[in-house]
Amino acid sequence: MMMLEHEGKKLLDSVGIGVPKGMVVSPGTAAAAKASGRIRDYPVAVKAQVRSGGRGKQGGVMKAENREALDAAVKRLSETDFGGERPEALLIEPWLPIERETFLSVAVDGRADGYVVLYSPRGGVDIEEGPPPARYSVGAAHRFRAHEMRRVLQDAEPDYQVSEKVITIAQRLVRTAALHDCTTIEINPLVKLAEGGMVAADAKVVRDEWAAFRNREIAGELGQAKRRVDRLLRDCLNMQHMYVRLEGDIAMISGGAGMTMAVMDMIAEQGGRPACFLDCSPGPTSARGYRPAFAMLDADPRVKVILVSVFGGGTQMQRVANAMKEIMATRKSRKPVVYRLDGTNVDQVPAIFSEFGAHNHARLEDAVGEAVTLAKASA
Amino acid sequence: MSILLDRGNRVLIQGITGQMGRFFVEDARQYGTQIVAGVSPGREGTNVGDVPVFASVRAAREATGADTAIVFVPPSAVLGGAIEAIEAGCRLVVATADELPVQDAIEIRAAAQGNGAAFVGPNTPGLISPGKAKLGFMPSFCYARGSVGVISRSGSLSYECCKRLTLAGIGQTTVVGIGGDPVKGTTAAEALELFHQDPETGAALYLGEIGGSEETFVAEYAARRGAKPVAALIVGYTAPPGKKMGHAAAFIGSKAEGHDAKVAMLSAAGVHVASGLSDVVKATQSALASAGRRAERATA
Repeated sequence: MMMLEHEGKKLLDSVGIGVPKGMVVSPGTAAAAKASGRIRDYPVAVKAQVRSGGRGKQGGVMKAENREALDAAVKRLSETDFGGERPEALLIEPWLPIERETFLSVAVDGRADGYVVLYSPRGGVDIEEGPPPARYSVGAAHRFRAHEMRRVLQDAEPDYQVSEKVITIAQRLVRTAALHDCTTIEINPLVKLAEGGMVAADAKVVRDEWAAFRNREIAGELGQAKRRVDRLLRDCLNMQHMYVRLEGDIAMISGGAGMTMAVMDMIAEQGGRPACFLDCSPGPTSARGYRPAFAMLDADPRVKVILVSVFGGGTQMQRVANAMKEIMATRKSRKPVVYRLDGTNVDQVPAIFSEFGAHNHARLEDAVGEAVTLAKASA
Repeated sequence: MSILLDRGNRVLIQGITGQMGRFFVEDARQYGTQIVAGVSPGREGTNVGDVPVFASVRAAREATGADTAIVFVPPSAVLGGAIEAIEAGCRLVVATADELPVQDAIEIRAAAQGNGAAFVGPNTPGLISPGKAKLGFMPSFCYARGSVGVISRSGSLSYECCKRLTLAGIGQTTVVGIGGDPVKGTTAAEALELFHQDPETGAALYLGEIGGSEETFVAEYAARRGAKPVAALIVGYTAPPGKKMGHAAAFIGSKAEGHDAKVAMLSAAGVHVASGLSDVVKATQSALASAGRRAERATA
């Protein structure tokens, strides 16, 4: 879950990492006019607050030399779409006297058994095209050692004053990540100012949504993210379903992430096109759990067929079958549903399915084949 | 032989009085697992069936000789429970919970390493050594005893693939669900190393997906001199980049994390890569066949 830049900077500021003194304003001209009245020193940077990446390359940061230019920048950025996303806010900051841009990131990495610190002496929007950054595998946060990072930076950063500042910041970032359940804290660029200080000119902070139970900010952001989507998807998210929209016409109600992807791949292999990734396994195995999934897919005009594919271990198949029976008794949509249930107690499924005339495919290949045929017939 | 788990493990269940714990007692016992104790603070002195419940892992270990723990508690309590089991001296600890904060997985892994314990999870059904014992909630009928070591990032995908193997007459030594999270108690590389040491395992089957770097180490193992043959299936050919596909680690952030790059890397290392789910049995058969040829050469 990505935080907005100004939220990330607030977190950095709270642990004593330098950030520009900025002002957050709502998009639109009214709030901006009020803000521009309060700004004395130009030039300023106006920065769209969006969660999608590549903002810099999409013109999401503008320089304003005076009040008129500031108003124009605010108007322009307020009306721009960044990867389908309108800015939630704008951040206005003093334009920094940059001597050099560096890159510093702390992220969770399986190879490091925990956190890894990445540093590059040349940061900025083209970081991905440059040479790979220096890499310090920390592991658990308490294992951070300044002297180990110093060794890693030896070849990467010739300026020892910069190097020492980067080590201090990195150590704070690792501790902050652990304490605040951040999976990534990336500062790109971490700027060396003309007077020598280091300032975080940007902040990309990704937080672990599974830590919502112990972090009010994460819980709050999750709630807001749900409010940003339409009601049908929101109902699914409230059942802990995991949904990714795709371009095809065969929708899935599925269990388990790996299995859902395997079925998507098989649909493509048989000449069909998956309409979504929808993993319902974390939700309740009852009609209450699956009903929002049907409601969303039934209302989606692109979806021609629904393939229910669950191979359960802890999920018991007679419960899933009974949930299907209950849902089908009141379902209005006539979109065809194809079933393939397997796993714990699957031997009880045929009897339940016969009560409402459904057929359970024994082989996944057959279920996918039927779904692909039905989708083609209705196209 | 098998890895991590066999008939000898004496298992205690943390959270035995919950729904999952009670289901597991019956199911695992039927399969032959020795369930010797439960832990549920505040319920000590009671029984679940005939399994005695204790207030702490240490008390349970002292009274029953339990040496293996499975943690069935809510995500917020997993960190405490798993570390308690590790520090009380359990040699194998399984945490099945999904939705565990990654910070907690990092701390549990560090504790396991510090105490010389094996930790499997999170976000896994657990592990099973077919015909011997199960330590998780996978459907038992999918498995049979044999010579393939299976490693999977996804629970349900491992059920599906193992059922296919079993129906084709290919049994398994141990099936380890390493889980779908970025920081794992047992990585694919570590599980492969264990299978490498296990004389009964002839070949390994790795079930992977897009995202992360786990597959790099599978390729490294397969390319090594004297490695056992490895078959693999990588799912997520149709997954778009930049979207989390359910599992926290199933996220294509760079080209190397995509399906095609992983398949190319594994194939180049000599892994028998299945073209899709329908091809898993064939890929495993060809890995086993090359294990057979190697054995013949060794005895010739």
